[in-house]
Amino acid sequence: MAEVTPAVEICDLVKDFKTSFRRQMLRAVGGVSIRIEPGEVYGLIGPNGSGKSTTMKALLGLVAPTSGRCAIFGQDSLRVDSRREVGFLPENPYFYKHLSGAETLRFYGKLCGMRGRILEERVSELLVLVDLENARDRRLGGYSKGMLQRIGLAQALVQDPRLLILDEPTAGVDPMGSRQIRDLIFKLRERGITVFLCSHLLEQVQEVCDRVGIIFQGKMVKEGRLEDLIAIEDQTEIVLRDASPELIARITALVAANPETELVRSGKPRTTLERLFLRETQRDAP
Amino acid sequence: MKHWRRPLIVLAATLLVGAVRLPLEAALTAELRGAGLLAAPLAVGTREKLGQTSATVALGGLRTLVATFLNLRAYTFFTEARWDDVADTFDTIVELAPQTIYYWETGASHQAYNASAYYLNDSDLPPLRRDAAWRAAVLKGRAFLERGIRNNPGNPKLNAYLGYLLIDHNKSRAFRDHDATFLAAAQAYQTAADAPDSLPFLRRFQLYSMARVAGHQAEALDLARQLYQNQGNRTPTLQCVYFALEMGAYPMLFDPESLAIALFGSAEKAYATLSNYWLRANDRLPVHGVASAIRALEAQLEIGADKSVFLQHPVQNAEDE
Amino acid sequence: MSQTPLSPTRSASGSHAGRISVIASHTFTQLVRMKVFYFLAVFAVITIGSNFFDLPQHAGPEAAGTNILNSIKSWSVGTMTLFSVVFAIVATALLLPKDVEDRTLYTILAKPVPRLDYLAGKLLGVILLVFVSLALMDGLMTAVLQIRSSMILSAQMELAHSRGWSAPEIASMRNDIVSQGPNISLQAAVFVVFLRASIMASLALLISTFSTSTLFTSIISFMIYFIGHFQADARGVFLEAGAGWMTRAIALLVALVLPDFHLFNEFDAVIQGQAFPPMLLGQITGIGLFYAVFYVIASWFIFAEKEF
Repeated sequence: MAEVTPAVEICDLVKDFKTSFRRQMLRAVGGVSIRIEPGEVYGLIGPNGSGKSTTMKALLGLVAPTSGRCAIFGQDSLRVDSRREVGFLPENPYFYKHLSGAETLRFYGKLCGMRGRILEERVSELLVLVDLENARDRRLGGYSKGMLQRIGLAQALVQDPRLLILDEPTAGVDPMGSRQIRDLIFKLRERGITVFLCSHLLEQVQEVCDRVGIIFQGKMVKEGRLEDLIAIEDQTEIVLRDASPELIARITALVAANPETELVRSGKPRTTLERLFLRETQRDAP
Repeated sequence: MKHWRRPLIVLAATLLVGAVRLPLEAALTAELRGAGLLAAPLAVGTREKLGQTSATVALGGLRTLVATFLNLRAYTFFTEARWDDVADTFDTIVELAPQTIYYWETGASHQAYNASAYYLNDSDLPPLRRDAAWRAAVLKGRAFLERGIRNNPGNPKLNAYLGYLLIDHNKSRAFRDHDATFLAAAQAYQTAADAPDSLPFLRRFQLYSMARVAGHQAEALDLARQLYQNQGNRTPTLQCVYFALEMGAYPMLFDPESLAIALFGSAEKAYATLSNYWLRANDRLPVHGVASAIRALEAQLEIGADKSVFLQHPVQNAEDE
Repeated sequence: MSQTPLSPTRSASGSHAGRISVIASHTFTQLVRMKVFYFLAVFAVITIGSNFFDLPQHAGPEAAGTNILNSIKSWSVGTMTLFSVVFAIVATALLLPKDVEDRTLYTILAKPVPRLDYLAGKLLGVILLVFVSLALMDGLMTAVLQIRSSMILSAQMELAHSRGWSAPEIASMRNDIVSQGPNISLQAAVFVVFLRASIMASLALLISTFSTSTLFTSIISFMIYFIGHFQADARGVFLEAGAGWMTRAIALLVALVLPDFHLFNEFDAVIQGQAFPPMLLGQITGIGLFYAVFYVIASWFIFAEKEF
């Protein structure tokens, strides 16, 4: 076979839920298809209740599709074995409060069949990766929201899966924590791990994802490479540093001399509030 | 409907599995009851008496614990001389813990000894009714003990306790038919003595009981001879009963005085033991030849007529002559 | 399927037994850190307290003491029964909904963990804790009984010598006291208490797979526990003809659906000095296992289809 097995393959997924009114069925997902190649970072965006989480749960076998099928690296999601190559971080996860960070990772590692020194090394490595080695022996009951999210990420990575599924990974996390998670995703992408995340925070998706799908009312409304989706084809942006007013005047005159081109806007670019916040709270930020 | 499919299958499987285990459990329950490890279900009456909470606890398998509580309550009733409440409580206690011998003994002794004595001595009843109440209490105690024995067949403690009650001369007035009473006592002592590791005095008490039943003296004599072989059994009472039984069976064969000296070892010993025995007239033990032997011994030992044992006690055992 | 070269029962992600033991030991730790062992302090107070209980002594000095041994046993085994059943039900009813609510269940099931392993692990964790607590309580009870019965024995020996009892009399008295002290039958009876608690835990597990709240699971479980003690009565009504067909049909339904908890009541007789033959203990253990396994399989059957 010449074709590479996709990391995620969702074909025509339909999922109906029973509502509290007996006979009425609610269609949470109505015929969604997604294909994610190995190594890609894919973002599924959409408003709350659009079917993002249900799609992910179906992919993990937590719910059974009404019709259609989901597969991870070619293995059907309803099979337990399909979950060997996947790590999952649910939305707002609460782990066992009575366990410490290291114990939590050890527990999930053992569930994946890891034992002994290999497991211990993996636990330490992950704690360093998510920057929690100082909180290693502290119970999760005392963790902040961002720390919980990071230990959740470490937990998802414990058996070194090839696919990572993140449901709203930065929901409720402060900007600094959110940036740490974003940096982690970059690191994982460098290592060739496929990431499937869903979020309603568009800016973050825009920063990390290669491909994006927009889901609305259970249906995929738009999907494609991020650059292709957001590029404004007939515009070009030039950003200059230390440009003298004379230079600006010359450029403007040059543009005015060209009848096909129109100057849309010029001025000082604004930093984002996020970047400002990070610069003020953390000296080494850009 | 798909949602309910699996729970319905589980229900069906439960019924099917229930049908398989029903005969098995019935058989095992019967076996466990046979081995005395499971009690029969509580009677409805007992459940009512226990009240809601205690019945629930008891049904939850904590019968002995409830019995422990009730035993405390019974003690309160006892100190307040509420004898009917004591009896009721012990009825419930033994229903809950029928294998605890202590409860049967205690329940019986409350009626046969404590309640009966109370009615006779302390109650405000007129004399005639006192006596009737006394007798009723003694009989109630006996009936309770006999019920305990039916629940614990062959139990040596309960049988010994029943024998003890039946041969108690303070109670004998309550049991009208003396022969039947002593025979029942002999049987109870025999059951107790037959139990493994039983104490030797139980066999002797079987003898003393049987010796008092008209028509069973020959049987009693056989047992007395057998017991007399063992040095450990030669207590004063056994020696006296043995003496009286031999004299009763063969009045022509033995001379009372020489048999007494032969049995007791010396004239002094024979006189001391037999005269004590003679004074226990209320016990209704056999006394054949005892008076003759004492008289002869008094003559031989030159005991003055003013010191004769017969003066200490008005002669009641006229049948001896 | 060609993509799955590894067998699904034993794969690179570990064995069933391995995963079950991981979840079981985790559940055990979780419960221990919920401080359930504090209950053992209460038990110690009850057992040692029952020792100082001044019981009414109706009988003479010859009977002295054996009554208190009975009382210690009733109190201790009674508390053990209560604790083990309440604990088995409440812990099982609590753990499953808690995992669903906190979404920790997602993270576990998102690992290569079959749902049966998850259920079996949770149940075994609860049962393990019940076992350890019962073992500790049993140890304490045995120690108290041992001390108390030897105290009674020496007091009775003194009495016996002062009254000049014969050797067989003393031997009989000693037998009497020893039979009321700690013995192997008592341990067997405590084991049956454990069996009953394990059945209750697996039953509560089954109920919690379709119930929506801890409270509902607990209440239904306790109801089944109490009605289960009447199951033998219902079976009797059905087996002994005489009642009307309606009554018999209802009795049959009760007998078929509910477990027979009366079958596990041996300790009442054992407390009173009855011996527990190993053969019968074996049969009861068999029935107990049968119930537990059936309920686990039924739980899995429902849980396997559940969506979160």
